Amino acid sequence: MTPRLMRLMHSLLAFILGLSIGAQALPVRGEQQAAAQLPASSQQARGLLQAVHARLDKAPVVKGKFEQLKTVQGFKRPLRSTGVFVVARSKGIAWQVQQPFASTLIVTPDSLQSRDADGALSTQMNASDEPALRTVNAMLFAVMSADVEQLQAMFEVSGQIQGQEWALHLTPKDALLAGWLGSIDVQGQAFVRRVVLQEVRGDRSEIRLLDAAGSAELSPADAALFAVK
Amino acid sequence: MSTVLGQSGKETAPPSRWWRTLALLWLAVLMAVAVHQWHFWRQGRLGTDVMALLPQDERAPDVAQVTGQLSEQFARQLVVMLGAEDWNQTRVAAQAFHRHVLAGEFPLREAEMASTAAMHSALEFYRPWQQALLTHAQRENLMRSSDEQLVQRALQGLYQPGIQARLGDWASDPLELWPQWWSERAAQSRARPRDGALWLQADGMQWQVLTYELPDSAFRLSGEPRLQTALHGALEQARQRVPHLRWLVAGVPLHAEAAAVRAHKEINTIGWGSLAGVLLLAWGAFRSMRPVLLVVLSLLVGCSVALSVAAWCFGQLHMLTLVFGASLVGVAVDYGMHYFAARQGSPHVPPHQLMRTLMPVLGMALTTSSLAYFSLGMAAFPGLRQMALLSVVGLAAAMMTVMCWFPWLDAGRGPQQSRLAERIGRSLDFWPRWRHAGKGTVAVCALLALALWGSGAVRVQDDVRLLQNADAQLLAQQLQVARLMGLPSPAQFYLVRGASEEEVLQREERLTDRLQPLIAQGHISGYSAVSDWVPSAQRQTQQLALVQRVQETVLAGVNAHLDESLAPVVSRPPQVLTVGEWIHQPVAAVARALWLGESQGVFRSVVTLRGIDGTQALPALEKAAQGLDGVAWVDKPAEISSLLRRYRVSMTGLLVLGHALVLLALCGRFGREAWRAWMPAALASVLVVVIMALCNMPWQLFNVLALMLLLGVGVDYGIFLLAYKGEPHAWLAVVMGAVSTWLSFGLLGLSETPALKAFGSTLMLGLPMVLILAPLYRVQTTGKLQVN
Repeated sequence: MTPRLMRLMHSLLAFILGLSIGAQALPVRGEQQAAAQLPASSQQARGLLQAVHARLDKAPVVKGKFEQLKTVQGFKRPLRSTGVFVVARSKGIAWQVQQPFASTLIVTPDSLQSRDADGALSTQMNASDEPALRTVNAMLFAVMSADVEQLQAMFEVSGQIQGQEWALHLTPKDALLAGWLGSIDVQGQAFVRRVVLQEVRGDRSEIRLLDAAGSAELSPADAALFAVK
Repeated sequence: MSTVLGQSGKETAPPSRWWRTLALLWLAVLMAVAVHQWHFWRQGRLGTDVMALLPQDERAPDVAQVTGQLSEQFARQLVVMLGAEDWNQTRVAAQAFHRHVLAGEFPLREAEMASTAAMHSALEFYRPWQQALLTHAQRENLMRSSDEQLVQRALQGLYQPGIQARLGDWASDPLELWPQWWSERAAQSRARPRDGALWLQADGMQWQVLTYELPDSAFRLSGEPRLQTALHGALEQARQRVPHLRWLVAGVPLHAEAAAVRAHKEINTIGWGSLAGVLLLAWGAFRSMRPVLLVVLSLLVGCSVALSVAAWCFGQLHMLTLVFGASLVGVAVDYGMHYFAARQGSPHVPPHQLMRTLMPVLGMALTTSSLAYFSLGMAAFPGLRQMALLSVVGLAAAMMTVMCWFPWLDAGRGPQQSRLAERIGRSLDFWPRWRHAGKGTVAVCALLALALWGSGAVRVQDDVRLLQNADAQLLAQQLQVARLMGLPSPAQFYLVRGASEEEVLQREERLTDRLQPLIAQGHISGYSAVSDWVPSAQRQTQQLALVQRVQETVLAGVNAHLDESLAPVVSRPPQVLTVGEWIHQPVAAVARALWLGESQGVFRSVVTLRGIDGTQALPALEKAAQGLDGVAWVDKPAEISSLLRRYRVSMTGLLVLGHALVLLALCGRFGREAWRAWMPAALASVLVVVIMALCNMPWQLFNVLALMLLLGVGVDYGIFLLAYKGEPHAWLAVVMGAVSTWLSFGLLGLSETPALKAFGSTLMLGLPMVLILAPLYRVQTTGKLQVN
């Protein structure tokens, strides 16, 4: 059933933002075979995704700051928050919200955890309990490796490329998901710079990533984030 | 015919009106049977559920009813899983498969699946009670958390990256309780809707789950694997599109079909095999067509009448009853053989007169065999009762045919002499006698019994596996489907009872509260209960108050922090959600089966478990029900094993009693020589136990029951030898009867059903022993007596 799937969009977002995870690690599967079967628009989408893939930085770890502007129905003002993020290939993504209320969100291929400012666990979800979690993650790895078949199973993909600049527009194919999530827009160059999530209901979230930089490995402090069970 | 009449008229009373009426009456009975048979085979309703052969546990009649109700619901369901590494490939294959299945000759229906519309209607149905629904974890968490923690959590959600998955306005559910509640409901199955199909990811494969139902009309088990053929045909088509497609299939109909196919095969092997043996024997011994044909006639009549009467008494016959019934061929042949052996021995005695002299002995033999078969029925196993009735009626009908018709149809000319018959008959003269048979047997039996008891060599087994005759490959697939999909265990569950719906729900909740730690400890991965979907009125009221208080607090806190003016949305449910309202909703489909409703003033429901962590988890699960009113832990395998054990012990007692009774009955007929008829069977029984212990074969209920039959059939040999004082024709009949019986049970020993195999092999060992031993106990009446 979908509510759980919807909730997993947390992790979907998290991975979109970590576009360079596993960019080198994952092969582009079944390319020749698929090319013959897919319609023209799909081939265009494949070309697009491959072009995006080529432009992305391939560093195993990416760190930076973020700023989110969220519009929620019923609230007079948009909600603005800032913090730092770190993405590690095959490990996952950690979001540390610093302002206005501190919390940490850690998304790994196997689980999703939310922690209070004092480190206490407030939400925990495991892929073993929710098979969709693993799949959403796998799908996002597919984004990064431009695996058209995987990605197109769930989204219609369109977009443009201008020099090093690229933009993707994703709309869900699945009727249940489309009933809730309107679209996802992703823009960037070597790193993702902006993501917009548009809910059908009207709520909207815009996330900007700033000062992103690649590195070869996680700092001990960051590694500890992922190590916590 | 006239010569017969004339001849017999000279010597005794003519074959009177009494004989004639009897023959005609029997003909009338058989015509009725023929009509019934015609209907019976046209309907072809045969049971295949092995569990139906088990007795209801007299200590828990509820459990039997529940098990029946649960299995009824799955009796026609079929689950097919197709898997490829890529979801698109899976979809392509599934479409091909599905198209082919629906277009095929075998009528399968697609089962209803959760659709987007159904999802919406489920949400709308539950919306009025939204604030009265909490998961166990949520309730604990809300009660434990401070107001400030709750406010912080709401703020975190708002400010964390991404958007929240909500099913309404933020203010109506600031802590996202409602989606989490649905998530936990979704955990009933691992399969999820995707692209209008049911999708499941496991072991690196993308699976599509297809569910089918068999319409009633399709459920005739013909003995042909039609369902398997249809499914494999469709699979073939799908594999043409996707060559490396993996597939799994599960469902009761497949097991039923496999059991039917196997039963048909075994019935044919045993039935035709025995018949061929009987024909050969009859031809070898009597050298003319008529005895052969008449013996076959008696068998045919015996089997048909047995089937009709059993079907009429029990409504539905079980496949295994028929498999066992096929062994009847070898036993029921005895009476015809005796008649013709007697005719051969005294060809000048008119048939009816001969029959009159034969009747007491044949009657005695029928009585002991019937008693033995009836004692099988005493075990209260419905299956054994069917088998017992089938056998007794079959024997009686064969005997009636011999008695009523043979003297007429025999047409005056007895069977020809044959060298084979003569040799067999004369072989008795060369058989030694055991001088101190009585004392010797007692000593040998006592010694062997002592040795068995002392060495503990008998390997007792009361395992439920005795009854499992499931196809190993199907079973493996079934288990894999259950594992992948997270299906509940059909063998272990809780039964909850109460005087009202509310009481049942409250009791369920007390139980599921106790199951939470067991999930955390990994004993189970989850459970399914109606109270998860419809909490008790008590709990709904508590939760509604809790949620409304919490939400008010949270909104006040958020308003203060963010300078907003969000107003709490207070839902006022029209009334408490009841099972009656819920059960007719499409969303109830997943748990409807758990609610058994009311009968005789008692409401019942079942709480099922998923992902039981092997047998080591069972004690903890059993303990969870202890001390809870109206909650009973049901462990079917353990229950069946204990049942088998109890019956093994009580039937062993009955076997000893049976031996005593048979000896007593023989005393009435043969006086002080009675032990000579009884001891061969007794000694053979002890020897069977010894041999099976030496071969390390397990000893179980069905061996005990087979010994019961060995007594009934084996004593006959002694009776014939004793009654006819070792006349060659009697010995010939005994040998032919024993060989055909041995052949039938030997073939039954080839059965793949462990219980029938045990039955067959015990008799296969025991019968020849009785045959060899019986002549040792002859009365010493000839000249040799004096010499000795």
